[in-house]
Amino acid sequence: MSKIKSRALSADELHRFGEELDALRARTLATLGQRDADYIRRIVAGVRWLGLGGRVMLMTGAVLGSTVLPLLLWPLCILGTVLLGLSKILENMELGHNVMHGQYDWMGDPALQGRSYEWDIVGTSDNWRKTHNYSHHTWTNVRGMDDDIGYGLLRIFPEQRWKPFYLLQPLVAVVFALLFEWGVALQDLRLGRWFAGKMKGRTLWKMTTPVAKKAGKQVLKDYLVFPLLAGPYFLPVLLGNVVANVIRNIWTYVIIFCGHFTADAEVFPKESVRNETRGHWYLRQLRGSSNLTGGRVIDLWSGNLSRQIEHHFYPDIPANRYAAMAVEVRAICSRYGQHYNTGSLPKQFGTVVWRILRHAFPSKPGPARPLMAAG
Amino acid sequence: METAIQPTWLSRLNAVWAPPTVLDFWLSRLNPLWSWNQARARVVERRPEAEGVATLVLKPNRHFRGFRPGQHVNIGVEIDGVRYTRSYSASDMPRADGRIRITVKAVEGGKVGEHLQTIPLGSVLSLGQAFGELCVPESAPCLMLAAGSGITPMLALVNAQAATGFAQPVRLAYWARTRAELAQVGELRALAAGHRNFNVHFVLTGEAAQAVDELEGRIEPRHLAALVPGNEPAHVLACGPHGFVERAREVLSGHGLSFQAEAFSPPPRVIDASDQGHVRVTLLKSGRTLDIARNKSVLEALEEQGVMPRHGCRMGICNTCACGKPSGATRHLHDRSVQHEPTQALRLCIQAAQSDLSLEL
Repeated sequence: MSKIKSRALSADELHRFGEELDALRARTLATLGQRDADYIRRIVAGVRWLGLGGRVMLMTGAVLGSTVLPLLLWPLCILGTVLLGLSKILENMELGHNVMHGQYDWMGDPALQGRSYEWDIVGTSDNWRKTHNYSHHTWTNVRGMDDDIGYGLLRIFPEQRWKPFYLLQPLVAVVFALLFEWGVALQDLRLGRWFAGKMKGRTLWKMTTPVAKKAGKQVLKDYLVFPLLAGPYFLPVLLGNVVANVIRNIWTYVIIFCGHFTADAEVFPKESVRNETRGHWYLRQLRGSSNLTGGRVIDLWSGNLSRQIEHHFYPDIPANRYAAMAVEVRAICSRYGQHYNTGSLPKQFGTVVWRILRHAFPSKPGPARPLMAAG
Repeated sequence: METAIQPTWLSRLNAVWAPPTVLDFWLSRLNPLWSWNQARARVVERRPEAEGVATLVLKPNRHFRGFRPGQHVNIGVEIDGVRYTRSYSASDMPRADGRIRITVKAVEGGKVGEHLQTIPLGSVLSLGQAFGELCVPESAPCLMLAAGSGITPMLALVNAQAATGFAQPVRLAYWARTRAELAQVGELRALAAGHRNFNVHFVLTGEAAQAVDELEGRIEPRHLAALVPGNEPAHVLACGPHGFVERAREVLSGHGLSFQAEAFSPPPRVIDASDQGHVRVTLLKSGRTLDIARNKSVLEALEEQGVMPRHGCRMGICNTCACGKPSGATRHLHDRSVQHEPTQALRLCIQAAQSDLSLEL
């Protein structure tokens, strides 16, 4: 367990901490305008062109490579698969995730409205808006309230009760990474409750219908319609689609796990959020989140989840603003003696892997790290 | 304002591999006017009409289902990244080429009117389907009362009547503050000179009347002698700001005239800034109307009245309670900023009602 890097704040300090962060929020909101609209539309264009490029190359590679130019089969199919994977990553992370937070609602563009956007992934946007926008963002890293802590599958923190099942988690974690989109799709169904007999079959069936409909649509699109367009040469297209989805699964898993499961990330007991103040909420978001260094490239391809701290402070502010806000956020955090959890992707993900391996075995929580000073 | 189209087998198939937003992206690359299911229009002509008044001719795409004279359309225009929607009356009768003419007035402090005065030719605007009920009866004299930009639906109705030679008597009274604010004066006078069944009066509230067809003052019973000579029964159409329409209704009541009116009001710019008292909220989906307090979030205030909107964090971050607000003003509980614009996503948990509201609940 790492040593304590942040101090507890008094009620008064918490209040001022919250006010400073609110002021930064107001300053940023006042400047939203054309450049943010242009930015998100450039992202939309990027998603579309990468997707088109990927699918055309995959198709060309499959058809030409299987007939007149065998030499082209592998290079075109690999390139097409990678482009398709990148398109899906950009769509899920920088476009879908951010739009669904309502970050671009202020534009009034019906295609970019948080409440109606539907993303290119098997999970439904409606379930995501509930489990992620509400549960995860409001109750970030609060045990028993934020289902994202280990996704009900992994033991990431010593505060989670150990069960023999967790001995398998190094393996479970890998399978979960490969099938991450399916894990997210099924998350809100809480199959565990049904297995345990805590939920009626009829309730589960009702919840399953929209999930199955969306998943069916995605499977039909990626694994049937597009491969069939290649006629008898469908196999490379089918495999390309499978691999593109898996690439996206692994990448999103890595980025998302770096957001709240790094060595310095903390979890909180339910009692800590009773009558929570705004300042306390901000501090909890800070202590439970972690950033990635790496500049503009990692910002773009992580959907600005490399700015997880800023994202959790301001989930509804356009993500393209986080990098600029981070400078001020970091200064505020240091003024209040708070550790700003950031590091390179290999370093941060290394600590996540260590947590998965270490807490597969029984472990005990370290000393308490209170957010608020006693008295 | 968005146009819904019945799903066909083709649209169902398309929705699998490319949802409408994806198709729209590619269609709009080919031609900004093209869309799979949204009505849009291109600005093909723009000319100044009077001081701060411009006429635009719009060419709609195939999703626009046309309009009747006197109807209005919602026009969406993007300014600094934000789409604003305003209603305009088609100021001409339907044309063979399907184009729509609208007359736009710049209102002081009004973003959209100002922007449209100088909008570049070729710009593409979003468009809603036509709405509005004003029409000239088949076989009865008609009295039209228009104030300010309320003239635009009347112009369309007059032009439509002119095309058929004014089969029944039409009288138009057109209120404005000054002569400079009147639009289409020459055209209207020429029509009146050429048709026995049409006459026009210009009524000025800020200048003295001079010409024979001019009157002065806000609408009053004394105007009726000129507008309803001989007390002939007529169908009355009135269009203008709320105050004007209400006053017209009062003045004409008791004369046994049928009365059809459309009122508009510019978004209120000065509102009681306190948080005292109650406002009236119209819930559009459930059809309920209730009074709620202004001193707490709309969410809490609705819950007090037994309405339980969907919600999540109750602190303005999760967007679960966001719902459409077509009209009314709200105040942000954290920064106290006031928002008048219609929105598709109002967060009920951090906005308090500032004026009467309508909500998509």
